[in-house]
Amino acid sequence: MRGHRRAGTAGALLAALALAAMARAALGPRYGGDLAVAALSLPAALDPAAPRGSGEALLALLVHERLLRLDTEGEPRAALVRDWFGAAGGREWVLRLEPHARFHDGHPVTAEDARRSLRRFLRSPSPAAARLADTLEGGAAFRARRTEELAGLVASGAEVVLRFLEPVAVPLAPLAAPSAAVLSAGGSGAGPFVPTARVSARRLALTAFGAHVRGRPLLDRVTVVAIPRADELEVELQTRRVSLVVGAGAWGAPASTLLLVFDPSRPPFDDAALRATAADALSRSDLAERVLPGAAPPAGLLPRHLWPPSSAHAEAAHARGAVPATPITLAVSSEVPPLVSQRLIAYLDNLGFRAGAVATTPDRALDAAAHARLLTWSPEVPEPELALRELAALAPDVPGVAAALAAAAREPDVSRRRSYLGEAEKALRASGVLVPLAAVPAAAQARANLHGVTTDRAGRLVLEDAWLSP
Amino acid sequence: MAFAVTRLGLRGRLLAGFALVAVPPILVLGFASAALLARSSRDAARVRLEAALGSAEAELARRRQAAGEEAERVLSDDLPQAENPEDPLVVAKVIAQERRLEVLEVLDAEGKVISSHHWPAGFGLPDRDAVFPGQDAFRIETAVQDYGGAERLAVTAARRGRWRGQDVLVRAGWFVDADFAAELSALMGLELALRDQAHGRWIARAGAPLRGWGDPALDAARPGQVSLGGETYRWAARPVVPGLWLVAALPGATLDAVAADIRRLSVALAAATLVLALVGAVLLSGRIARPVRELADGARRVAAGDLDAAVTVATGDEIGQLATSFNAMTADLRDSRERLLQAERVAAWREMARRLAHELKNPLFPIQLSIETLRRVLDQEQRGEAVSGPRFAALFRESSETIIEELGSLRKIIDEFSQFARMPRPRPAPTDVNALVEHTIALHRARADGVLVETELAAGLPPANVDRDLLARALGNLVANALEAMPEGGTLRVRTATEPPGVSVQVEDTGPGLDEEQRTRLFTPYYTTKRGGTGLGLAIVQGIVSDHGGRVQVKSEPGRTTFTLLLPAATP
Repeated sequence: MRGHRRAGTAGALLAALALAAMARAALGPRYGGDLAVAALSLPAALDPAAPRGSGEALLALLVHERLLRLDTEGEPRAALVRDWFGAAGGREWVLRLEPHARFHDGHPVTAEDARRSLRRFLRSPSPAAARLADTLEGGAAFRARRTEELAGLVASGAEVVLRFLEPVAVPLAPLAAPSAAVLSAGGSGAGPFVPTARVSARRLALTAFGAHVRGRPLLDRVTVVAIPRADELEVELQTRRVSLVVGAGAWGAPASTLLLVFDPSRPPFDDAALRATAADALSRSDLAERVLPGAAPPAGLLPRHLWPPSSAHAEAAHARGAVPATPITLAVSSEVPPLVSQRLIAYLDNLGFRAGAVATTPDRALDAAAHARLLTWSPEVPEPELALRELAALAPDVPGVAAALAAAAREPDVSRRRSYLGEAEKALRASGVLVPLAAVPAAAQARANLHGVTTDRAGRLVLEDAWLSP
Repeated sequence: MAFAVTRLGLRGRLLAGFALVAVPPILVLGFASAALLARSSRDAARVRLEAALGSAEAELARRRQAAGEEAERVLSDDLPQAENPEDPLVVAKVIAQERRLEVLEVLDAEGKVISSHHWPAGFGLPDRDAVFPGQDAFRIETAVQDYGGAERLAVTAARRGRWRGQDVLVRAGWFVDADFAAELSALMGLELALRDQAHGRWIARAGAPLRGWGDPALDAARPGQVSLGGETYRWAARPVVPGLWLVAALPGATLDAVAADIRRLSVALAAATLVLALVGAVLLSGRIARPVRELADGARRVAAGDLDAAVTVATGDEIGQLATSFNAMTADLRDSRERLLQAERVAAWREMARRLAHELKNPLFPIQLSIETLRRVLDQEQRGEAVSGPRFAALFRESSETIIEELGSLRKIIDEFSQFARMPRPRPAPTDVNALVEHTIALHRARADGVLVETELAAGLPPANVDRDLLARALGNLVANALEAMPEGGTLRVRTATEPPGVSVQVEDTGPGLDEEQRTRLFTPYYTTKRGGTGLGLAIVQGIVSDHGGRVQVKSEPGRTTFTLLLPAATP
């Protein structure tokens, strides 16, 4: 009897402690705390660029700030600008800067800083920059470095003026690209965290930026450690050395596409029929249901939330014929779970290919010398047209794509614009160069004491409002 | 060689004998051992290679049998109880982990993979893995490796049965891969690998030298050697199935190292044995030679007149008995010498008494006659028989002169005896003998009437270690004797020469020479052939020379007598 009483007392005590802890967490966001994050790789430099890997994307959002960002619905939201308005029938857009915005070095964010940063952005390899340059006055010549003049970009007082050749759809969306981040003359960013210490290529420490345009982040510090293997990332999390891993696991709803990219410039995948055979032999449902936790069959090349499901794609279950036993190399981004690439190899092997996998870092997956590449792709700017432009850059010279995208850019009518974009997407898929295998969530996992982590529309982790419970 | 051997001492000969007896067998033994061990090493390598192949073959057979048993258990025990059987990624994995199987797959009746542990990505697809011809126990299975797969050799066994209402085939086993080869290689201490001749590849531990053997011509009946990476390997091979070979290789360096170790050990043992034999020989020969050498030393001392020489003997063997006899002999010699000396002393005293009596009696008789003559004249005068005055005076003068002359002879005799008795102890010093000879000749040249004096003095004569005054006296006696021996004239030759270990002085005269008796008694005191001689001159010469550690030799023939003094040289 006394034993039962003691057990009851102990249970009540434990329950009280658990409730206390839950209550503290339930009290809501709190300032303070050092967050340790493990990622597959760290960028060599913190310059704004189109991030390819989840780690790079995370750091881009931590360190840098853009003029605008896109909300979960794809609508522009203020970042370093306070507001904006159109003029000249939609050919001119004026962006007024937030007067209290500051860089990490303490300097105020000026229109000249924005102009200088956008000029750099326009000459970057970003597809979003290409789209902006194509539509701005003098943008194409400036991007091609034929002139230093850029009439379409003017800094005036606290305003930045964009002048387009003609009215375009979603004119400001390219400004939400990470590579369009604004830097001071000294190279400082304006993101929520200030990079304070870097130890070789493996460890980067960041401190909360108190003068951030949206206010100081909740965390005091974030330390990002590079762990090059996905399986070791999970070990880091399980052993509680870090509270968040980026590059392994599944986080949130599918926001990226598991993409197989054939190299059409050399055998055997220069043969469109062979690409189609290989693409059709892959069972998307197997991947989504059994191999990739949290994944879904792809709606198309774009993640479902960016683009309505395409009726054109249906899972093909039958191989169109035997293929010669050809040795091929498959470059696999390290963010792709090994079982996925192995499943793909099993399919290819079943078709008669003798495929070997070569792991690459996310930022090099598209450049690796291989017959095909397997990667997790999410658009730099989560807007359908810009995303398709990005994909079109991976499959150049596909007939009809450029024209359809150009038409979509000029088309103000939403319905017709979607139609153009649908044509472009269909043409891209029909080329057989880009094969969507699954819609996958962000590759990340966190401990239970980490709260407030969100993802943007491109599936990138945002730690701006993250906080740690005790 | 014989000369060299004869020049060796007893100990040297004993050592040489030991060496001749000990070295050849040791060398022969060393070389024979090395050759035998090298052969044994080769044989041992072959046996070791065959044993390794046999062990590996047995291990493969054991794994094959165990694979069959495991497949049966999976079919009968595990699959019916499998949780979550719908998930192809779980079933085989869980069972394989439980049973520690590296290869496990479940196939349906059409040969499609229902679940696979080693290649989970292959579910739902036909199993396309290859087998070795005629033997499905050895398969080339696709297995997980990083982000893709790799073909790996596996030893498996398959069992058919039913699961969830359908016919299935369960294949279980383990990889025969680099880890397997590394494990067996480490266990057996050599290189063990499998050669897949069909695909032209090695299944060997990472970094194994056999991987560099490009196109091996393997023959189970003919093991051989192959040079890989600059090193020679002995190898042996055995086919597991057609196209798949077990290969064992032993680096020559290991064998060479063992052989070299054995050779070094043999040489070291031989050297140690040789050293021990030599040390033993040195000790033994010393033990044998030392008493002999002591005996020889003792004999030399006895020969030199030291009858007190004795040999210390600590052994009871023949050498010890010889030494005891030697000591007894020297003791007898000492007794004999004492008795001889006593007899000689008695004889000398008798001789001296006789000579003294004889020498004293000779002058006494004339004195007695002279005195009796004077008394008779005095008695005649007392009786009145007058003797004329002049006659008396003449008698008196004649008798008194005779008495005085004989008394002078007595005095001379007494002086010589006194001088002989007072012979001083020599005080040797480095002395130029040539100068001493010239000085002596100069003193006696005045007495050399009718005698031709010649000197032949050696140039560069080393100084002699002698008492200059005593040697001058001895030389003077010899020169005087020589001159007295030639009253009618002749030739006196004095020569000096180097006579190791000293110098020699020869005094030669052309007198009548000495007969046998005279030569025998020449140095006897008081023996003389001359009227008025005391017989002490040559005795004094011998005494002086003997006291200096030298010798006197005499050679005589009619018309020529030579005395030779052998004197010690001064120590530089």
